[in-house]
Amino acid sequence: MCDIIWCKKCDTVNYLDPFNFWNWEGKIGCAGCGTVYYIHMINGYMYRGPEERPGETPDILPLYADQPNNGYEKFLPGIPGKTRPYNCLPREIYLGRADYRKFSIRGRPVRGWAPQPKSTGPAGSHPFIWQVEKHSPEVWQEFIEKKKKGEVKDW
Amino acid sequence: MERIERIPMEEQSGPRSREELEANKMPYEEFCRKLFDVGNEFSKPQALKGIRWLSCTMYIFTPHMVSNLAELGAEVIKIEFPRLADPMKHTSPFNEAYVYPLHDDRPLSGQGLGVINANVNKYFITLDYHRPEAIEVMYRLVKMSDGLTECYRPGTFDKWKISYRYLMEINPRFIYVWGGGFGYGPKVFGGSYDILGQAHAGLASITGFHEDFGGFPVKHTNWVIDWYSGTLGTAGILAALYWREKTGLGTMIEFSQVMCAARCIGYTWPLYGKWGIVRQRWGNWDTLLCVHGIICCGKSDYPDSKNPQLRDEARYVMISAFKDEDFKELCKIINRMDLYEKYQKHKDRVEATAQIEIYNALEEWARDKSRSEVTKILTEAGLLAMPVLNDKEIYESPHFRARGTIRWQADPSYGDILVHSTYSAGLLSKTPRRKYWDARPVGADNLRIYRELLGYPMSTIKEWYAKGII
Repeated sequence: MCDIIWCKKCDTVNYLDPFNFWNWEGKIGCAGCGTVYYIHMINGYMYRGPEERPGETPDILPLYADQPNNGYEKFLPGIPGKTRPYNCLPREIYLGRADYRKFSIRGRPVRGWAPQPKSTGPAGSHPFIWQVEKHSPEVWQEFIEKKKKGEVKDW
Repeated sequence: MERIERIPMEEQSGPRSREELEANKMPYEEFCRKLFDVGNEFSKPQALKGIRWLSCTMYIFTPHMVSNLAELGAEVIKIEFPRLADPMKHTSPFNEAYVYPLHDDRPLSGQGLGVINANVNKYFITLDYHRPEAIEVMYRLVKMSDGLTECYRPGTFDKWKISYRYLMEINPRFIYVWGGGFGYGPKVFGGSYDILGQAHAGLASITGFHEDFGGFPVKHTNWVIDWYSGTLGTAGILAALYWREKTGLGTMIEFSQVMCAARCIGYTWPLYGKWGIVRQRWGNWDTLLCVHGIICCGKSDYPDSKNPQLRDEARYVMISAFKDEDFKELCKIINRMDLYEKYQKHKDRVEATAQIEIYNALEEWARDKSRSEVTKILTEAGLLAMPVLNDKEIYESPHFRARGTIRWQADPSYGDILVHSTYSAGLLSKTPRRKYWDARPVGADNLRIYRELLGYPMSTIKEWYAKGII
């Protein structure tokens, strides 16, 4: 379930995925024509808006949009200037900003960031062990630094 | 040779008396530590070594059913759709927390934490069952395997000619497991999820507080029926393997998830059958024992924490004092001997109105205390009390660490992961469960299985990959 902004100017449905917009106030650009709409959502309910804000810049773009009256023309994620990319970004739990994790809470490397170095063999097969030192030397360096600072623990 | 019974005790080697024998025994604690030798699982044999199983599974229920076998030593081949993967790999809490990679074709898509723990030690290959080439591959795998678990809608594998009816013809020893929502019957086409199982079997209707107390039917936060059904499914497989040992014949197991959810509702149906009573919810208290429930304390154990789960919610404590003498002690501690006078017999205090009065009195007493204080007071008085722990506290708990229940896993593909699976399912002294890896990227073992096990030439494998067959 998600709310939408149906832009009547270009007949585009902009989908507001619940994770980002459940409690959110700001401006969104229409993926079809770029019109900027202000909304304020509280617990998934559209408390105010959508109100047009001509001339203002959007805070965020929709992840996905389509035009149901035009053969379901789609705007997939990651079209520059229209939709934002879908990066599966984990967020810092209190600040809400994107936060790729390179290390576990005890300070050892965990593959929590993208893109990863390609390592497939034929037909998508993977070698068995991901060697941090070899495949992600910059993370390995960071790990060594952490070790020197005593930030790597056993538990 | 003289029978040992005829040798006088004092001339025998070993302990001279029963007392000496008892005295020579190492303390039970030490005996257990030595016997189970937690952390040294990899040097011991595996009970199911030699068993090969095919896991045509998705989500949690059926993958977990097979994961149990893999943790006990079976060689398990998990078959996913090319490039798509088990849908569970695309789920993660609030769409956060992914580990990478999922597949080289999708560099920005990680594997979500939703799948963690459900596919332990499996080899991951890809195969599109729709393609004619896939049938031959499946038949060859079936000929050299002991069984298969699948979770597609009933009849789907039959349509693809890889159902039990076909496979028993080419391998009569084959054990075929279907696991899914409803199984055959009036709702044969009904799919299922854990929450549907909890709802349909009536489990959710008896979970949570009654509406009179501001409650409502509650599903368990985690997918408990998926994990539970999977474990019951594994028990069925082990029985089928034993049956095959005796008869040489395979079998088909049909596992409906809503059926499994019905197994854990206890006396609910017999109660309805005898008296026509529709069971109601009783929340954190107990319908059979009193006092035997969870109460809320007034103070937090972490008043200054910025995490609300610690600051606001670390206030709950489980208390048990249902025996008459324990209840008397509890009433003395909370200075409510009037309650003891009123409800001296268990049959009196287990009644609903009595429970409401007793638990209200307990929460009133705990209003100016933290759960640690409540636990300390009651434990020192010889009563059973335990804080409702959160995952941070479990991580720090010496009990779980000493028994190896929660561990850091240096996963070969994904790095440092904190896990409990495998090690949270009992300790076996001779053939312990073990975890080599948690999961593998999509098609990670295509070469190992198609080339090394089945012997297909590289040119065929590459052609299939290019065509999306694997």
